[in-house]
Amino acid sequence: MADFDLVDFAVERARQHGAEYAEARYEHQLNEEFILKNGVLDALYVGEDSGIGVRVLAKGGLGFAATNFLTKSDVRAIVDDAIKIAKAAHRKNPIVFAAEEPVVADWAVPQTRKLSDVSVEEKTEEILHIDRELLDLKYKVAARFFMQSNKQIDKYFVNSEGSRIKSFSPRIRLSYFLTIVHDGSAEQTHQSYGWSGGWEAVREVDMFRRTLDEAKSMQNALEHGKKSPEGKMDLVVGPMVSGIASHESCGHPTEADRVLGREASQAGKSFITPQSIGQRVGSPEVNVVDDPTVEHAIAFYVTDDEGVKARRRYLYKDGIINEFLQNRETAAVLGTRSNGAARATTYNVEAIVRMANTFVEPKDWGVEEMIQDVKYGVYMKSFMEWNIDDKRYNGKYVGREAYLIENGEVKAPVRNTVVELTTPAFWGAVDAVGKDLELFHAGFCGKSDPGQALDASLGGPSMRLRNVYLR
Amino acid sequence: MEDYAERIVDKALDLGCQDAVADVTVNRSYQIRFAQNEVVISNRWRETTASVFLVHNKRVVASDIKDFTKLDAAMENLVKIAKSSKENPDYGGIAEGPFKYDRLVVDKRIVDLMHGSDYVQAAVNGALAEGAKECAGSFWKYDEEHYLRTSNGVRGYDHRANLYLSIRALVSLESSGHGIACGTKLSQFDPEKAGRKAGRIASLAKNPVGGEAGTYDVVFDPLIFGSMIDQVGGRASAFIVLAGLSPYAKKIGKRVAAGTVTVEDDGSAESIGRLRFDAEGVPTRRKKIIDKGVLKTYLHNTSTARKFKAKTTANAGLIAPQPHALFCKPGNWTRDEIFEECRDGLWLTNTWYTRYQSYMTGDFSTIPRDGIFRIKKGEIVGVWKDIRLTDNLIKVWKSIAGLSKTVDQVTWWGEVSVPTFAPYALARKIRITRSAE
Repeated sequence: MADFDLVDFAVERARQHGAEYAEARYEHQLNEEFILKNGVLDALYVGEDSGIGVRVLAKGGLGFAATNFLTKSDVRAIVDDAIKIAKAAHRKNPIVFAAEEPVVADWAVPQTRKLSDVSVEEKTEEILHIDRELLDLKYKVAARFFMQSNKQIDKYFVNSEGSRIKSFSPRIRLSYFLTIVHDGSAEQTHQSYGWSGGWEAVREVDMFRRTLDEAKSMQNALEHGKKSPEGKMDLVVGPMVSGIASHESCGHPTEADRVLGREASQAGKSFITPQSIGQRVGSPEVNVVDDPTVEHAIAFYVTDDEGVKARRRYLYKDGIINEFLQNRETAAVLGTRSNGAARATTYNVEAIVRMANTFVEPKDWGVEEMIQDVKYGVYMKSFMEWNIDDKRYNGKYVGREAYLIENGEVKAPVRNTVVELTTPAFWGAVDAVGKDLELFHAGFCGKSDPGQALDASLGGPSMRLRNVYLR
Repeated sequence: MEDYAERIVDKALDLGCQDAVADVTVNRSYQIRFAQNEVVISNRWRETTASVFLVHNKRVVASDIKDFTKLDAAMENLVKIAKSSKENPDYGGIAEGPFKYDRLVVDKRIVDLMHGSDYVQAAVNGALAEGAKECAGSFWKYDEEHYLRTSNGVRGYDHRANLYLSIRALVSLESSGHGIACGTKLSQFDPEKAGRKAGRIASLAKNPVGGEAGTYDVVFDPLIFGSMIDQVGGRASAFIVLAGLSPYAKKIGKRVAAGTVTVEDDGSAESIGRLRFDAEGVPTRRKKIIDKGVLKTYLHNTSTARKFKAKTTANAGLIAPQPHALFCKPGNWTRDEIFEECRDGLWLTNTWYTRYQSYMTGDFSTIPRDGIFRIKKGEIVGVWKDIRLTDNLIKVWKSIAGLSKTVDQVTWWGEVSVPTFAPYALARKIRITRSAE
C-alpha cells in the first residue's frame, strides 16, 4: 500500500538526515457519531481522519511533525521540519530513549459482528429504541441526550530500530445524560460505556437495561431519597466509583511524565516522586493495575504507539506504590524500561504516557457479604460530580445512586453523598474488594497540549471502605 | 483551497442536498513544549481539513474530510448516509448570504515567525528571576486560513494568526503560579511578563498549610475568574440548554448575576479568538449574554434561533452554537481596592477540574491550583493548599461585589476554553470545602 511505503520512506529519510532515532506512524480512522437529543437525531457525524506523524531525536532534542497529505514531497517536508525543530531545542540534558528490542507484529481486535457491516439505520435504531422505552416509563424526563460513537483505527508504525507494526482497533462507545424531575427536584446522570470490538458491544454492555434501571433509580431517589448522613461511617462503593478512583488517584499520579514534571503546566504533577516506590498509600487489600491487554476493554492494545509490547502494570500492589506508567523517554530518565504506556489519540500528536484500563484487581467478596458486615453506612453505586487536584491527592466523588445501609441491610436512597478524601485516606480505608469486575465503564482521559482525550476504562469491582468521613 | 470548498458545496447540491457548508482549514501551527526549564518537544503541523455540513431532506450529516484525492467519493458516501438517516424536525436551515465582512487583520510578523525558543526563554527567565525553580508550559504560534462556502451564497476567507504562551512556575510541588501571554500582534506579546507573574505567585506561595472549610470572601485572579466566565459562555449555548446541561434554562430575562456583571461574546473584537464569520458564514458581532446581572440571550445558530423564536447570534459551530471570545465588562475598582475590600477571605489565582453535580441547578465544585492566599483586611496573612470551591454557579455570580477596571486576556488548557477578558473580582460568602484525612 502506497501510504505504508511513505511511512518507511519517512523513517529512512530521517535517519539519513541526522536523526539519532526516528519513528513514523500512519493512521486512518473512520469515525461515526450519532447524537439523539430529546428524541431527535440532531446530527450524524461521519469523519475520515488519516495522515502521518513523524517523531525524531536529533542533537538531543525531540521534534514532531504531521501532515494529512500523503505524497512523498509532503512527507519529506514534515521529516525535515521534525529534524530542524528537534535540533533547535539546544537542550543541556539530551533526551534519550530507553533501549527496546524491535517488534514486528500485525494484530487486530476481533469483532463478532463487524462495525462496518452494521447499517446507519440499525445503529440509529439502537438509541431510538432505548429512548422510546425510557419515555414509556412515564417519568417526567426533562432532557435526554444519547450518543453512540464508533471508530475503526488502522495504524502502521515503523521506527529506525527495526520495529514494524500493523494494527486494527475497532471501538464503540455508548453514553447518555438524563435529567428527571419530580416535585420541583431534579436528578441528573451521565453514563458512558465502551468496548473494543464490534457491534456485539450493544448486547454485551446491555445499555438498554442499564438505562432503564438508571432512570428507575433516579425516580426512586426523587420520590424516596433522604439527605445523606454526615460523619464517619462505612462506605461500600460500586464498580463505577472504584473505577474513577483508580483512574484519578492511582493511574494519574503514577504516570512517569507527570512525576517528572513534563505535564506540570497542564495536567499537573503528582504527590508521588521517583523516591515514592515502596511507600504505603493504601491498605494491603489494594492492588490497582493498569492493563491494556484485557480483551474487549475499550483501551485494549497489543503494542503501544512507540512499538513496545503491552503488559499488566501493578501500580499499587498490596497498598504499596509499586510501578510507574512509562514510555521510552521517562524510562530512560528513571533508569528503567518502558512498560508500553505510550499512546496518541491520532496521527498528528506525539505519543505520551497514558493509562489504558485501570482498575482494582478483583478479590473474592460478594457485594451482599460486604454490606452484611456494615452496621451503619452508605452504599454508593455511582457518582455524578467528581474532581481531584493536580497533584492527585484530594479527590471528591458525589453520589448519584446511593443508599443508606443499616444493620447489614440496604435501606432508602440517599442523595448527593459526598466522599471528599485524601488519596491515602481513601485507599487506606479499603478492607474488602469484590469479585464483580465491570470494565466497560468508559471515559475520556484528558492530557497533554494539544489536548489528547483518549479512551480509558473506568470500571472495577465493588469495594468496602471502613470508617471514612462522608457528608 | 477555495476550489475544494466550492467543489464540496457544488457536489452536495448536485447530489440533491438542500443545504451545504464547507470550511476548508489550512493549519500551519507550530508549538514548543517546555518542562524543567528546557524544551521537551517541538511540534509542527502541515494540515488541511474540510469541515462539511450537509442536509438532505432535513437529514443532517457533518464530517471532516482529510483525503482530498477522494473528495467526490467522500461526498457521495456522506449523502448516501444522510439519505438513510432520520429527519431532524428541529432543523431550521442555515443563514442566507452573501455577507460583507470586516477588514482582514493579521500581523504578517506572526505569520512569518519561524522560531519561538526566544519567547520560551524569556518566559522561563522571567519566572526564575522572581524565584521560581522549575518552569513548564507551551508556546504556540497559531496560523490558520479558512475558506468558507455555503449553498446560501456565502463566500468567506479568514486568516487567524496569533501567539500564545502558558507558563507554570514552581518553587516546590505545592508552591506554584501560572501566567499567560497572548496576542494577535507581535508587539502585544510579552512572555517575560507572564513568566514574572507565574514566578511571583510561586514565590509568594511558599510553605502552604492545609486550608480550612468555611465561607469566605474570595478575590478571583483573572485566570480563575476566566474559568467562571467560561462556564457562563459554555452553558449559554442553546444546544447545551436544550440538552439539559445548563442552569440557564428558562432564565432569559431573569437575574443570574449581580447587577455589576455584564458578560458579552464577541468574535469580531480584537482577541486571539477573533474570527470574521461563524460556521454558517454569519459575520461575528458583539452580544450581551448577561446584561447588568440579567440573562439576555442564549448563543444561537440559525436552527436553534428558530426553535427559540430568536435571531442567530452568529455563534454557529459545525453542529452546536459556541462562544467565540468572552468579555466581562470591567468594573470601577482598582486592583488594590478589590483586595482592600476583602476583609476576611482568600485570593485564588487559578483552578481546574470544574464539574457539576447538577447542570440544571448549577451545583458544582472546582479545585483551586497554584497560589491560594489567606487575606485579612486586604493583606496576605497566610498561604493555603488543598481546598475546593464547592458552590453554585448562579450563586457565585450573584455574589460578585466588585470588578477591577483592568482586564487580562486569558485562555488556558480546558478550563478557559475560549479567549476571555477577565478582571479581578471580589465575591462574597463563597463556600470552601476540603478533604477529610
